[in-house]
Amino acid sequence: MKKIIAMLLVLVMVLSLVACGNKADEKTTVTMIAAQYGDKTAEWWAGFEKKFEEANADIDLVVDVVSWNDIYTVVNTRIANNEQPDLLNIDGFADYHADGLLKPVSEWVSDETYAKFYDSFIAESIVDGTVWAIPDLASARALYVNTDILAAAGVEVPTTWAELEKACEAIKAYDPEIYPWGVDMTTDEGQAAFAYYTWNNGGGFVDKDGNWALNSAENVEAIEFIIDMVNKGYTNNDPANQTRYTLQDLFAAGKIAMMIAPTQIESICAEAGNGVNFKAVLIPANEGKANATMGVMDRIMCFENEQTDAEMAAITKVVDAFYDDQPYAEWVVMENFIPATSTGGEICIQLQPDLESWINLVAGAQFYPAAKAEWMDVKQGTINVLQQALLGEDVQTLLNDLQAQIAG
Amino acid sequence: MSKKASATAAPKGARTLNDRKKMYNILEPYIWIAPSVILMAIFIIVPIFYVFRMAFSEVTRAGRIRGFNGIENFASVLKGNVFSGVLWNTLVWTILVVGLSTLLGFILALLLNNKFKGRKIARAIVVFPWATTLVIQASVWKFIIDTDYGALNTLLKTLGIIETNVNWTPTPEAWFAWEIACGIFVTIPFVCFTVLSGLQSIDASYYEASTVDGANYWQKLFNITLPLVKSSLTVATVLNIIYVFNSFPIIWTMTKGDPANKTDTLVTYLYKLAFYNGKQGEAAAVSVIGFCILLVCASVYMVSTLKKGDE
Repeated sequence: MKKIIAMLLVLVMVLSLVACGNKADEKTTVTMIAAQYGDKTAEWWAGFEKKFEEANADIDLVVDVVSWNDIYTVVNTRIANNEQPDLLNIDGFADYHADGLLKPVSEWVSDETYAKFYDSFIAESIVDGTVWAIPDLASARALYVNTDILAAAGVEVPTTWAELEKACEAIKAYDPEIYPWGVDMTTDEGQAAFAYYTWNNGGGFVDKDGNWALNSAENVEAIEFIIDMVNKGYTNNDPANQTRYTLQDLFAAGKIAMMIAPTQIESICAEAGNGVNFKAVLIPANEGKANATMGVMDRIMCFENEQTDAEMAAITKVVDAFYDDQPYAEWVVMENFIPATSTGGEICIQLQPDLESWINLVAGAQFYPAAKAEWMDVKQGTINVLQQALLGEDVQTLLNDLQAQIAG
Repeated sequence: MSKKASATAAPKGARTLNDRKKMYNILEPYIWIAPSVILMAIFIIVPIFYVFRMAFSEVTRAGRIRGFNGIENFASVLKGNVFSGVLWNTLVWTILVVGLSTLLGFILALLLNNKFKGRKIARAIVVFPWATTLVIQASVWKFIIDTDYGALNTLLKTLGIIETNVNWTPTPEAWFAWEIACGIFVTIPFVCFTVLSGLQSIDASYYEASTVDGANYWQKLFNITLPLVKSSLTVATVLNIIYVFNSFPIIWTMTKGDPANKTDTLVTYLYKLAFYNGKQGEAAAVSVIGFCILLVCASVYMVSTLKKGDE
């Protein structure tokens, strides 16, 4: 009797597996790894998956939402095991492109969706004339100033480096417990500090022709300026260990007077509930130099998995559904970022009118040269330069060494 | 004929049975340990093999192995001046954390071995740092010493000892010292309880006899206690060397090895190489170097200590 029951159970298991197999065969599976931007990201993607599958019964969409802390490890492990997803939402694409793992955008994005993107955003994902990724959202950095502290110290919002130094001096004199200027030179985001000061001094990572120009005179002057600010005691006391997140909390607590940050700082201040009055202004530039805004962009890319025509069609459908104007705009507003599509942007402005100035700001922003294959080395290299300069090493020598290491 | 046949067949059968039994007796222990061996092979030997393979291969930033590249990864790691500093930090970190936690843990074990009121509670309290996750421990230490909202400054201000906030971490060396202090704090319980188990197994009659002979406290400590807890202490030290050398959470949570690798140890450095710089081949090379150092250190220490014990 027992044997018969055991046999029956085995039969049921086998049949159920066969049934699963058949069911799976009927559907086209699209796999995706998405970056987790906030607490509601996973929930939003689960809802998207459900709605998408209801509308497309023949497609099985599998989205793994992974935190920023883990996403690089997860993706690299999947690639090492040849299990890369069809779609990936992450920041950079150059490393995957360098390994020949990506499909050109023309193969998986419909013309209708492609037409929605801001041109300046698309331009950041072009290598050798081919677009390899599409932007999913962006953010811009602005200078946030605590208006109460500036008023109490009797200074105006600084627009130049000279004014900034004077403002810091006045704030320091007003209250030595307040940090006049917040700087993050940590492993987390030190490259952003490099960008803020070099771009606002007419320098930057690359020259006009797109070649690495890390040791330009403008860059040396810019880095020496910010290191001097640290040494004079105008900044937070440990820039190599205090991340932007720590600084944002200090700003929301009224302990930092000015810092460069993304729009998310506004919600952090609101949540902290300390009644800090602030406003966002342009990042100060050196005398006679144009103000530069930094834009940060994330992307979606498609991996070469030898997909069939049906699978490619399914991927296109997923992308089209994601960039459908209304849900896309709602997602961007929920995540508190800036949209990457013009049509989505119009809806975002209706949902959140103050986004308009940010959309205009990011349209003219400068981005990291993330399409270049050496970017990861440059990123880490600039962080090292800043941290070594903090320890008293010569900026010119450090930048010369970095330039030699990167450009040969 | 049939009788003959059965007479010859019987011993043959018995012999086969005996042979099988013998064979089974020989194989039995291996069968029992087979699952452990298989598990060890899967979870220890295979990953080690993969790390060695990566260390001698060209690995792309996306994680693809492109083929054997000899000692290139090792050469590029050793080429810069970062590695020597990181290796020095690792040695300082391991020696100070293991050395001081062993000393303090031993003293604490001696104290907790005495009979006093509330001994059980005291022992339970000592376990707390060990039972808490290292990331939480390091975060709490970081919070305590924070200049702006740290508990230490707040306490000292409340007590009127300081008037303005003190920066407890003005230099990379200061950060590293705090990390070592945190490392010692979380390692003490392990040493303490290992030694305590050794102390509890010492027969009280040794102490009674030595008291009768007129031995003082220090004589008892060095001539009875220490030799008898030596094996527990050796195990604790070897395990500690391995744990502390490979410890990642404290340094990563407190400084991420910043500024400019001044507080990095081999483990945090290789993590940065692999997941921040995308140089997985070089990271694997650092890992192999660490593995070899650890293997040599632990073997030398264990062999020499146990040899002395035998003598």
